[in-house]
Amino acid sequence: MKIGIHGLTSCYGCQLSMAAVKRIIDVVDSFEIKYFYMVSSDKKIEKVDVAFLEGSVCTEEDEKELKKIRENADILVAVGSCAIHGGVQGMLNSYEEAYKEVYGKEISYEGRKSRPIDKFVKVDYRLPGCPPEEEEIMYYLATFAIGSYPEEKDYPVCAECRRKGNPCILIEKGEMCLGPVTVAGCDARCPGYNVACIGCRGPVPHGIAWFDSLARTFKEKGFSKEDVKKRMEIFASQYQKLDEMLDKIYGDLNENNKGDTS
Amino acid sequence: MKIIREIQVDHLARIEGKAGIEVNIGEEIEAKINVTEGPRFFEVITKDKKYDEAVAIFSRICSFCSIPHKLTPIEAVEHALNIVPSEQTKKLRELLYISNVIYSHALHLYLFVIPDYLGYPDAFTVAKKNGDLIKNGFLLKDFGADIQSIIGSRSIHPENAIVGGFGKIPSKIEMKKIKKMADDVVEKAIKTVEFFAEYEYPEYVNKERRHLSIKPYEEYGVYGSSIISSDNSSFDVEKYKKHLIESVVSHSFAKHGTFKGEPYMVGAISRLINNLSLLKGEAKELADKYKNFISSKNCFANNFAQAIELVYFVERAKELADELTEIKEEKKAEAGKDSGEGYAVTEAPRGLLIYYTKIENGLVKSVDIITPTAMFLPMMESDIASMAEGLWNDGYKDVDLIGKKVEMVARSYDPCISCSVHVAKL
Repeated sequence: MKIGIHGLTSCYGCQLSMAAVKRIIDVVDSFEIKYFYMVSSDKKIEKVDVAFLEGSVCTEEDEKELKKIRENADILVAVGSCAIHGGVQGMLNSYEEAYKEVYGKEISYEGRKSRPIDKFVKVDYRLPGCPPEEEEIMYYLATFAIGSYPEEKDYPVCAECRRKGNPCILIEKGEMCLGPVTVAGCDARCPGYNVACIGCRGPVPHGIAWFDSLARTFKEKGFSKEDVKKRMEIFASQYQKLDEMLDKIYGDLNENNKGDTS
Repeated sequence: MKIIREIQVDHLARIEGKAGIEVNIGEEIEAKINVTEGPRFFEVITKDKKYDEAVAIFSRICSFCSIPHKLTPIEAVEHALNIVPSEQTKKLRELLYISNVIYSHALHLYLFVIPDYLGYPDAFTVAKKNGDLIKNGFLLKDFGADIQSIIGSRSIHPENAIVGGFGKIPSKIEMKKIKKMADDVVEKAIKTVEFFAEYEYPEYVNKERRHLSIKPYEEYGVYGSSIISSDNSSFDVEKYKKHLIESVVSHSFAKHGTFKGEPYMVGAISRLINNLSLLKGEAKELADKYKNFISSKNCFANNFAQAIELVYFVERAKELADELTEIKEEKKAEAGKDSGEGYAVTEAPRGLLIYYTKIENGLVKSVDIITPTAMFLPMMESDIASMAEGLWNDGYKDVDLIGKKVEMVARSYDPCISCSVHVAKL
């Protein structure tokens, strides 16, 4: 099976996670790695069965490269928060101002606002995380290798956190833990360390999961919609349904619907 | 200038991030590193964020050195808000930090550099021919990664390290485990030194150069509050803006640094040159044995210095884990105020890393970050030009060959492109 591993603008942590998987040397022979430029100088973009891609589109070059990767891949997997949701760099509000402030007119390249890759091409699967978990990387690789496909998780971090029996950071400590609105798969690592979830894996798929009943705790604990939004934006500022999610939590959904029909 | 020959590497493989090399051979020889990775404006996106969220965002600057990009801003925030971490926290942080240096050096040397030395395209191919060698590297990398996971919660973007201390304190058993692991890998680190001691440095890049590093508090390593130069001058981190000049150049999203108007080097070799007398144990013995390799004049000495540091930091990790065997539960240190300005400098795997932050009412209002790659880029360009010039004048006209050699010069510095393009000054 032929695979390619690629990176656009990012911290390179997803590729590093894939290269540093403990069993990588054992499994590497099961695949024909056609492209992994971060670790190999002997690669060209060519036809592959599966392309894994981290990073968001921040330059003209990023967009061109993304399209070339898509054309050459039967399956495209968006890896990590940058590729899936535009990454923390997606938070930038006024790109032009920041750009001018930093570089002035002395630079010949043109940068752009960070965008997730599904704004440009079709994405077949998402492997979330900042960075993705070793277990999940192995699961995705293994399912593709046997001709199957990975199932994306559609439940929140809270589910894993409850199963582990961690004390609830949101309810018991009153800290703004994003467990209820963040997609599971990390085995609730941070709450297990007494650290409130910052939402690095991105929002739980909207409309499927039962996130809103849990997330209403935000409201009960006195966090404003704006506060929750600000924290969720760190990793999901480019997520289209972010406002819809918040409306659902804060119970404004009906009012919005009224607005739509009038 | 009439260009006779152009050597263009659009996208340099086996480095962190995206950059190309351009060498123009004419009457003079010019080299440029074209950093084409998109800018991410970390100083802008963290503006008005709560400081505990901002430090989690900064770690996303880079995956290879996410721990330096977490612990350094944490220190700057603590400096700003009069937060005094406990002695135990300081030791745990040092252990966490140096485990990242081990992790990063092992990845850089084995995944990026050794394939060049052996003439293979990547470490996977090396593994097929010389499995034991690459296994060595992966065991060292795993040692670093395991400590990062024990203390930091994971090896990339460690959320357990927070302002004031740690979310969860690791256990006594885990400290014993680290000691035991260190015993097992120290020999792998020594083998790395022996591997690099087999190779002489290319003379084309020999030149006088200035080295900047931290002045460590006590032990050789990563923590201090002032910066020393190989010309014996020094300055406090709070004065960094006066001494370290960063300027925008037209071909790159990364800014370029100079000190006293000249390019300079930072990184493992600069730490060794400036702080050699602080080495101890097996690392000191190896440094004495191979003292000719610790050359201040040649950038390839940086790879050798990273290998020496692998030995030093594995031994230091053992020492710290030993001092932490009576580790106990404690609460994180609290802020004395909610506004202020703070500075911090540390030694990231690739060299000096500086953070400045201004906080008002618990929100980050201003940040400045200077990364090692931005500091050494001008020196790296100068070495690339010297390498190309030396080869060209000696009659090597093959563009591919010159291309491969200048790539090796770039890799010897261990550039971290993602780090270098965070830039913004507001």
